[in-house]
Amino acid sequence: MIEVVLNDRLGKKVRVKCNEDETIGDLKKLVAAQTGTRAENIRIQKWYNIYKDHITLKDYEIHDGMGLELYYN
Amino acid sequence: MANRTDPLAKNIRGTNPQNLVEKIVRTKIYQHTFWKEQCFGLTAETLVDKAMELDHLGGTFGGNRKPTPFLCLILKMLQIQPEKEIVVEFIKNDDYKYVRILGAFYLRLTGTDVDVYRYLEPLYNDYRKVRQKLSDGRFSLTHVDEVIEELLTKDYSCDIAMPRLKKRWTLEQNGLLEPRKSVLEDDFEEEEEKEENEGIADKSEDEKDHHRKSPERERERDRRRDSHRHRDRDYDRDYDMDRDYDRERGRGRDRDRERDRDHYRERDRDRERGRDRERDRRDRARRRSRSRSRDRKRNETDDVRDRDRDEPKKKKEKKMREDGTDHPDPEIAEQNRLRASLGMKPLKM
Repeated sequence: MIEVVLNDRLGKKVRVKCNEDETIGDLKKLVAAQTGTRAENIRIQKWYNIYKDHITLKDYEIHDGMGLELYYN
Repeated sequence: MANRTDPLAKNIRGTNPQNLVEKIVRTKIYQHTFWKEQCFGLTAETLVDKAMELDHLGGTFGGNRKPTPFLCLILKMLQIQPEKEIVVEFIKNDDYKYVRILGAFYLRLTGTDVDVYRYLEPLYNDYRKVRQKLSDGRFSLTHVDEVIEELLTKDYSCDIAMPRLKKRWTLEQNGLLEPRKSVLEDDFEEEEEKEENEGIADKSEDEKDHHRKSPERERERDRRRDSHRHRDRDYDRDYDMDRDYDRERGRGRDRDRERDRDHYRERDRDRERGRDRERDRRDRARRRSRSRSRDRKRNETDDVRDRDRDEPKKKKEKKMREDGTDHPDPEIAEQNRLRASLGMKPLKM
C-alpha cells in the first residue's frame, strides 16, 4: 500500500492510499471520492506527462509519498 | 460577441442558461471549429437544418476533450433559447431521430418537471438505434429509449450535469401527473387473463407493480421480517472480533505459537475471561452486560467450528471479511469500505 499526494495548486491537496498494482483510473476514482469532482474530469500529470488511465502505478514508478499534479479536464 | 447569450433570454434555474454547461466544457466548445464555423449566427430555423445533419450523439471525447457537434448544438440552443413550441416540435417529429434526442435533451435541461415527464415518456416507445460517441473516441450502439431512460434517471449525461428532477411518485401524489400508463400494459393484461384462466393468480400482482413507481410494500415487509435473522449473525462476528483482537494484539508477538498451543484452551478461557476484562477497561461494561448470552451462543458455535476443522486456524483470519472492512485500524477500515463501494479490492498492507 502506498500513499500518494495530489496537489492542484489552487487549494486542493489530497492524500490517497492505494495499492501499487492499481491503475491510474482507479486512483482517479479515489481522488474523485475525496474531492467531490467527477473521475472523468480529473487529469493527473507530472510536468507535461499526462498519466494514462489504463497503466498501473507500479509501471509509472509512483512510489510512496510521491507528489502528483492534479488538473481538470 | 458570438458567445454571449441573447439579452432577451430568460434565466434558467436562476442563472445564465449557458452556465448549465460547466465552464471547462463550455470553453472547449467555444474553441472548437464546429462552433466557430457552423454555429455562428444560427437561428431556430437554421438550427433545425444543422440538427438534421447530425449522425451521432455524445459529450466530449479524446485526451484533450473535444466536443461533439451534438454538444455544440445543445449549447447553441441554450444560447438562443427557442420557444417551447419549437422544442416540442423537435420532439414530436418522427423522421429525424437525432433531432428528437436534441429536443428531448434541451427540454430535460430547461423544462419543468411535469413537462419533462409528459413529453419524454412517450419517447420510451421509440426503439430505433442511435450511435453514441464514448469518451475514449469509440462509437457504441444504443437506442432512443435507452437514451431517454438515462435522461430521466441519471444525473449526468453527455458531460452535462442534469438539473434535479422530482420523482414521478411525488408528482402523482400531488395530482400533477397521471400514473404512468405503459404501452405494453395491454400486452400484460392479455397475459394476465390467460394465466388467470390457467389458475395461476399470483403473477398478476407482481406485473402490475412493475409499472407503478410506488413503493412495494409487500417486499419491504418481507425484508423487514427477515432482517433480524441476518443481523444476529453479524453482531456475533463483531463481538468475537473484539475479543480476539485484544487477545492477539494485547499479548503481541508469538501469535503462531500461541495459536497451536492455546486453541483448545481458548474455549475455557472464554468462560472465565477475568483477565481479559481487567486488561481492557474500555470494553468492560459492554462485554459484561452481554457476557451471558454471548457465552451460550459462542460456545455452541465454537463446538461446531472446532469439530469441522482439521487444522487449527487463526481465529482472526477466519472472522475477517474479504473486503477488509472490519480491519482493526479505523482509517484503513473506512478506506476499504469506500473501495468496496467503488468496486475495488481492499488495500494490501
